[in-house]
Amino acid sequence: MPQNPYLNVLLTALLTVFFILASSFVLAALAWLAARLFRRTAREQQNAFAGYLFAAPWITGFLIFVLVPLGFSLYWSFTDYRVTASAPPQWVGLENYRQLLLADDSFRASLLNTLYLTVLGLPLQMGAALLLAVLLNQKMRGERLFRMAFYLPVILGFNTAVLLIWRLMLNTGTGIINQLWRAAYQIPGISELLRAIIYVQEISAAFFLGLNNRSFNLMYKVVEAGFPEVNRVPLWVQSPLWSKMAVILLMVWGCGAMMLIFIAGLNNIPKELHEAAQVDGASPWQRFWKITLPLLTPYIFYNLVVGLISTLQIFEPIFVLYRDNQPLLSSAISMVYYLWQKSFSHFEIGYGAAISWVILVIILSVTLVQFALQNRWVHYDIY
Amino acid sequence: MKTRHLLHIFKRLLLYLLLTAATVAMSFPLFWMISSSFKTIQETNSPGIVWIPRQPTLEAYVGIFQNVNFLRAYFNSVFVVSLAMVGTLISIAAVAYAFSRLEWPGRNLVFFLMLSTMMIPPQALIVPQYVFFNRLGWVGTFNPIVIPGYFAGGAAMIFLLRQAMAQIPKELDEAAFIDGANHIQIWWEVILPLSKAPLATIATFLFVGLWNNLLTPLMYLQTVDLYTLPIFTATLYNINQTVQPWPTIMTAAVLTTVPLIVLFFFAQRYILDSVVISGLKG
Repeated sequence: MPQNPYLNVLLTALLTVFFILASSFVLAALAWLAARLFRRTAREQQNAFAGYLFAAPWITGFLIFVLVPLGFSLYWSFTDYRVTASAPPQWVGLENYRQLLLADDSFRASLLNTLYLTVLGLPLQMGAALLLAVLLNQKMRGERLFRMAFYLPVILGFNTAVLLIWRLMLNTGTGIINQLWRAAYQIPGISELLRAIIYVQEISAAFFLGLNNRSFNLMYKVVEAGFPEVNRVPLWVQSPLWSKMAVILLMVWGCGAMMLIFIAGLNNIPKELHEAAQVDGASPWQRFWKITLPLLTPYIFYNLVVGLISTLQIFEPIFVLYRDNQPLLSSAISMVYYLWQKSFSHFEIGYGAAISWVILVIILSVTLVQFALQNRWVHYDIY
Repeated sequence: MKTRHLLHIFKRLLLYLLLTAATVAMSFPLFWMISSSFKTIQETNSPGIVWIPRQPTLEAYVGIFQNVNFLRAYFNSVFVVSLAMVGTLISIAAVAYAFSRLEWPGRNLVFFLMLSTMMIPPQALIVPQYVFFNRLGWVGTFNPIVIPGYFAGGAAMIFLLRQAMAQIPKELDEAAFIDGANHIQIWWEVILPLSKAPLATIATFLFVGLWNNLLTPLMYLQTVDLYTLPIFTATLYNINQTVQPWPTIMTAAVLTTVPLIVLFFFAQRYILDSVVISGLKG
């Protein structure tokens, strides 16, 4: 292989293409042979050949990059395996899992933090998406422009550069968000609202941190300190009480993808239903609760499933905002960040594999539970 | 009647007001990024609000274009992303064709398997993949970022394209088949030209995913000369520095987001409607 990195990857890409073509033809030929052995018609033999020829890239990729790695990581998760030690994996049975689930404070912190983002961040994100979708659902000029503006954050997404913009804006002292927050105290009537937000947020964050530290002293202190005084500002990326809130802000900002799904759902609601209800004298508020929301449940369900999967996998914001920040890391670390840290900073491959299997099982069971519960609240029948 | 008309106008005004406020809030980070890139370090750290720098300076831009590491990171990103996209798009198009236009034994099973891979977090696979690529001697090369996509990486993308391809009338393939075209020709000359809109959509999503990708480059590219933009930008911000070079960081952010914004501007009519096309009924 050439030393030049660019030539190297070009050549490898070329070899990969040949490999994929060759393996596709082999797979297709096998399928054709199997169809022949089972005495299928000539047309069916042809179809089997063509089908496997075109699907082969995914099938080989699935074997090489998903199935085999999953098998290996399952095996390693029962071993003590460190890349640096250059020793072969040592079988330790359930030791990794025992330590992970019972004795590892960092993992527990990462689990609770991820849970916090899911319980608090996801509903806020979905609520914002639904609100924007309902607003955009009115027939009006410039709808497309608004839609673009709301979707753009999804495209920018969790790019490092974009996360750093937020880091600048969230600076406690000089960041623009807190500058505006301080300015807002001048507006009469808003002061109490802002302080209430700070109060509620700090108590709930302290409660979660208390679960993590197994001591609720911090929460008592926050409660005792009482209602925040005027001019208090959120501490965002500088306090354990606020570190996760900064991430939630980012999640809400990126609600455009969910908004698009909701817009599609709102478009599919038959106009006649609303018209009939209006004739019967239902108020817009009643129509929202009795017609729009029930008919939207399949779309809410979809957003919830996809949103949970992606929130449970959150990584980039934590990495960019809190990497190397020792005092804050335990209050902000997510499960995947911890996986990355164990595997690639400490090179504990066996332990990392165990973490990834725990994450996988959590995501799978959460998703399955949702599918099991969907009959209770998702209405498909109305369509 | 007249009061009703007034009420209608009032409601419209309120709606526009709300939407404009939301737009301002959502676009504010972009405005702040551009504005800050023209500021001095003192202005970015000033205790007062500097909406627009009084004397915009191009210092940060001049500086970053003289930074060899930035230019190389930019080139690396463009190179890696384009190389990965070519193979990924073609292979996804092939697999989507198999799932939508062809009848073959085992199709439903394979399709179900493909959909269920969407539930596996990619992070569950990164550890064994790392060990595998390490064996191949691929650590410290671009290969782990480019090559996996060539195997039709991205179940959601395949699904999106399959849904769109399934809506093309079957008669088209049959007519081409009778004219003596083979499957490769039907795929390349009949189906793909008719799937331009969904292809544009998934191309955009692929570009965004690759351009924003931080985790994979972070694992495999350990030397500065291989860094892609996200890693380079992350290194600009260093928690151990007392004063962050914000104008430089924001300039890097502007230059990183420009391709994304331009792409979105051209592709928005495909993306913003694609969800409606793919039809999400239960």
